[in-house]
Amino acid sequence: MMIRQAAKKALGLTSRQSTPFSVGIFRSYHENVIDHYDNPRNVGSFDKNDPTVGTGLVGAPACGDVMKLQIKVDEKTGQIVDARFKTFGCGSAIASSSVATEWVKGKAMEEVLTIKNTEIAKHLSLPPVKLHCSMLAEDAIKAAVKDYKEKRVKTNGA
Amino acid sequence: MNKTKKLVASISTLLTRRTSHPSSTLRCNPLATFRIKPQTHLNPVKPLALLRFSGRAFCSGSCDKISSSTCWNCGFSSDKSAFLFCDSCRSIQPVDDSVDYFQIFGLEKKYELDAGSVEGKYKDWQKKLHPDLVHNKSQKERDYAAEQSAKVTEACRTLTKRLSRAMYIMKVNGKNINEEETVTDPTLLMEMMELREAIAEADDSKELNKIQSQVQEKLKQWSDSFAKAFESQRFDEAVKCIRRMTFYEKACEEIVKKL
Repeated sequence: MMIRQAAKKALGLTSRQSTPFSVGIFRSYHENVIDHYDNPRNVGSFDKNDPTVGTGLVGAPACGDVMKLQIKVDEKTGQIVDARFKTFGCGSAIASSSVATEWVKGKAMEEVLTIKNTEIAKHLSLPPVKLHCSMLAEDAIKAAVKDYKEKRVKTNGA
Repeated sequence: MNKTKKLVASISTLLTRRTSHPSSTLRCNPLATFRIKPQTHLNPVKPLALLRFSGRAFCSGSCDKISSSTCWNCGFSSDKSAFLFCDSCRSIQPVDDSVDYFQIFGLEKKYELDAGSVEGKYKDWQKKLHPDLVHNKSQKERDYAAEQSAKVTEACRTLTKRLSRAMYIMKVNGKNINEEETVTDPTLLMEMMELREAIAEADDSKELNKIQSQVQEKLKQWSDSFAKAFESQRFDEAVKCIRRMTFYEKACEEIVKKL
């Protein structure tokens, strides 16, 4: 996966034996963040023209990163059955969107709107300078839900 | 204190570094060609030298007024807008936060700029301010050298790159750019997504170079748009241009990493 390779290179995590825990004075990534690199979940895309798919596309103005998060919704129950993401950005951004796709699966749309960036940041132990990455993920979830709802309105109204 | 911890390249590295501007390529050892500038000022060294003034500007009005700064060492009074170095007694002055980067290089607060002239003036400044040249001076002056040198380096870096210059000129004009708000413009983001995907999928350097020149072209285009928007005081438009440039710059960084 190109994104992963680029992410690993950017982080300098080229060996499989990277330290998972913060050690003493060394500032390393939290094991959860590293986990999302070594085992990326839900990377990919859905067909955005599919009526059961909501696409959230967001960008970070400070660093120029882009994040796409897609949800697949069960029309009958309104539950999110699957999710995919594609993020071009730093390790924290990729991990945040990966976590977001995991957390939205199996939940109702109204429920995922309550997912807060602080929860994502806490789960990944993001440093203050990377908090905006978790914010981006929260915004991506909201954008995906909004897109799905707007599509429904269009198809119902037509 | 953070600024003093920044590593400033040694003076010989700075001055022998090749610049993009063809006319300024210094090859000689700067210390060997150091010459004392002739005294051109009419003001004699004032007897107030005994009173140690700090190099602070004394103007109470706006920064547009030409302020009078006084040398902490000899009391020489200068009306230069950027008084970083006293030509009279050759002492380095403490950093004055009211001096902006344009003033340091003697430039008008305009976006359009000749990068070559900035590089030339940068070297001239470093010949006077660099910490490597002040080993025999007092600790206080060595600290001033470290801070002034770092500020001048930062000023050069900020002004020679289009995006940072655009952001700086907005800031200097009191127009702060909100970097917190997530970008949701679908057209812009779709384009950026496709661009980043193309970069990720590019296999060889030929393809990457092609993409890079396309992106550079876009950067120039948006840089020109920014200039126009800024001149006409259409600041919202200007911010949009900066946003675009940020994304394109990020794409460029990714290409460079891959190359």
